[in-house]
Amino acid sequence: MKSHTFKGGIHPPERKELTEHLPIETVFPFTNSVSIPATQGGAPNTVLVKAGDTVIRGQKIAESDAFMSAPVHASITGTVKKIEFRAVTGNIDVPCIVIEGSGSDETAFMESLDPFTCSKEEALKRIKDAGIVGMGGAAFPTHVKLNPPKGKVIEHVLANAAECEPYLTIDERTMTENTDTLVDGVAITIKVTGAKSGLIVLEDNKSHLVSTLETAITKSGYTNINVVLVKTKYPQGGEKNIVKSALKKEIPSGGLPADIGCVIVNVGTLCAISDAFRLGKPLIDRGLTVSGGACASPKNLRVPVGTLVGDLIPSVIKLNPGIVKILSGGPMMGVAMANANFPIAKNTSGVLFLTANETDLREENQCINCGKCVTVCSCRLYPVMIAKELEAGNLENAKKYGLMDCVECGTCSYVCPAHIQLVQRFRVGKQLFRIDMQKKQQKAEALKAKTAELQGGK
Amino acid sequence: MAAPSDLNEIYLSSSPHYSAKNSSTGVMAAVIMSLLPLCIYGVYLFGIPALITIITAVCSCVVFELLFQLASKQKIQIQDGSAVVSGILLALVLPPSLPVWMTILGSAFAMIVAKAFFGGIGANVFNPALTGRAFLFVSFPAAMGTWTLPKNAQPLVEAVTSATGGVTDAVTSATALSVLKGADIVKDADTYMNFLLGNRAGCIGESNILLILLAFAFLAVTKIIDWRAPLAMIATVALATFLAGGDVVMAMLAGGLLFGAVFMVTDYATSPITTTGRLIFGAGCGVITFLIRQFGGYPEGVMFSILIMNAVVPFLNKLIQKKYGFVPAPKKTKEAVK
Repeated sequence: MKSHTFKGGIHPPERKELTEHLPIETVFPFTNSVSIPATQGGAPNTVLVKAGDTVIRGQKIAESDAFMSAPVHASITGTVKKIEFRAVTGNIDVPCIVIEGSGSDETAFMESLDPFTCSKEEALKRIKDAGIVGMGGAAFPTHVKLNPPKGKVIEHVLANAAECEPYLTIDERTMTENTDTLVDGVAITIKVTGAKSGLIVLEDNKSHLVSTLETAITKSGYTNINVVLVKTKYPQGGEKNIVKSALKKEIPSGGLPADIGCVIVNVGTLCAISDAFRLGKPLIDRGLTVSGGACASPKNLRVPVGTLVGDLIPSVIKLNPGIVKILSGGPMMGVAMANANFPIAKNTSGVLFLTANETDLREENQCINCGKCVTVCSCRLYPVMIAKELEAGNLENAKKYGLMDCVECGTCSYVCPAHIQLVQRFRVGKQLFRIDMQKKQQKAEALKAKTAELQGGK
Repeated sequence: MAAPSDLNEIYLSSSPHYSAKNSSTGVMAAVIMSLLPLCIYGVYLFGIPALITIITAVCSCVVFELLFQLASKQKIQIQDGSAVVSGILLALVLPPSLPVWMTILGSAFAMIVAKAFFGGIGANVFNPALTGRAFLFVSFPAAMGTWTLPKNAQPLVEAVTSATGGVTDAVTSATALSVLKGADIVKDADTYMNFLLGNRAGCIGESNILLILLAFAFLAVTKIIDWRAPLAMIATVALATFLAGGDVVMAMLAGGLLFGAVFMVTDYATSPITTTGRLIFGAGCGVITFLIRQFGGYPEGVMFSILIMNAVVPFLNKLIQKKYGFVPAPKKTKEAVK
């Protein structure tokens, strides 16, 4: 089977051997309490419960009227203890619903729904009701993704199984253990979007799974689902790169995958979609990889959403001394956390405990203009030039070199011999650019209003 | 439950948290590695004076950079090794017998005027080593045009050398190419071989073509330099020489073309970062080299061609290739307006 690829990218040490052979361990019911962030993707939700309420696993506890939103459900049965602000991935304090478990295994799932006989609206409503968001990291509400704007025809559903982030193996394990659920999820997504075909796209470091997947596809009877191998290279799993590799198409600058007739859905999300229809189960559990050099017990776990990482230490996760970074997510795009007391959310694909050897704590040096960042950029942008223009305060020029097209994959920072925090600079730059645009717009509007006023005065 | 992580010193920073652990020092070390064989061969050819020139240039470059950083209260960055690279490069394009004080003066000009004044590593506009050499070249034309014959030079080489008056940037004789076109030089395999091996009078490091090609292969394979600009420059000179009816092989072997193409044209700070830019940069260097050799008052044009093209780099950096998903501004709007 031929592997496809894109131009640019890097080959960081994968370190997947720590966990890739380990079955997913379900840690449930284990925790006494969970802290579920009230909003996990989409517009801010309103909390539907108050302290003292009894909630059942699967019960909706927060939602919003906004289209671009996803409700949140209780992941364990018990009593709402309080609603408190606590730091989540991203180091911002958000309201979290703290539920103390009663030990009961009672559930309040929805009725199962046949995705192949129900209408598109019913299906999308079910996906929204199940609170499904992108589990690969972006937490974009899935029902929005599967319902592209009018005029966009979806042709392909891409199951993103590239898992290009080092350390993380949860997608690989999910594919190994829940192959049928995954295939079912792809089939449902094809049905809902009206696509012609489904492609399960994985990096060739997981080529041993091809036969497993193909057997499951044959068994399921879907003839329009295929397995595509792509080269093992970071960031192969980025939306822009995976479509380039698998379909030889590029998402237009500033556009969506739907613009080229694609939806790209993560493996975990597809399984959640299948569960939402077949079991009526909302997105309340998720698998994740816990790993890193300072983790004495690297493993793949399945935990209720809202489980505090700190609560799993030391009974489930054992640590070694020498931790310098605690990450929520992978080492390339994950977020560094101040401590381990943060809840695992719907989009937490991994928790890593890194030692000083694994990460890089050096300070920035002066750019030597080597252009390595240009060679590796996964979007063929010009990181060094963007950084220079940003330093000069020239936002327009920075945009010309690709500032607003940057996906923050981190390949440029990874290779930089002067270890310049390019991604961080671009994040700041993007914000400045947006503010600048807003200001310009306001100015234009003010001018227009004034002109109208003056003309009216005549 | 308090996490044991509280016992550790936890760092917060923006992603990525992973790094190839490259360093500027590592890059410079690789360049120095590739230059060492040329240094050793230069000393073998020209003896102790060459060794003294190399050591003087390296030491004074490092010292001048350090002094400037101390005087201007900047962060001390001599450990990155770029001053060492500049020092070696400068020494290798100097005649072996140059007085020590001139080497020191050239190093000072290279490090302070050409590099530090522009903002130091990565920020300089003109190649420091070449700027230092150009400074010496216009200030002390006689010393810069005095060539030592290799210790074991054969009579044949001597003949060629005396005819060309030293092939590199000598001002005391006619241009290399014009002499080479003349009939007084025996152009046989031996002559070419001697030029290939650098067994001729010339600068310390630019004569052995084989070692330069070896260094090029090493740097290109390890992806420290991009092959585009050097190849574009050499190809352009070859083509132009061929069209002008010159001796293409001699145009390649004589003078500092290969050394300049491999080590000077690929200087990070003073060359473009875009691939198109690099091709044009190399080709531009090639054209100007040819023009100076063919029509100019100097016998060799490599140095000035690169310095001239250095000034064009900021414009070449604007030549960007198609970015991912980039859609050219639709021309439809124009038609719609009509």
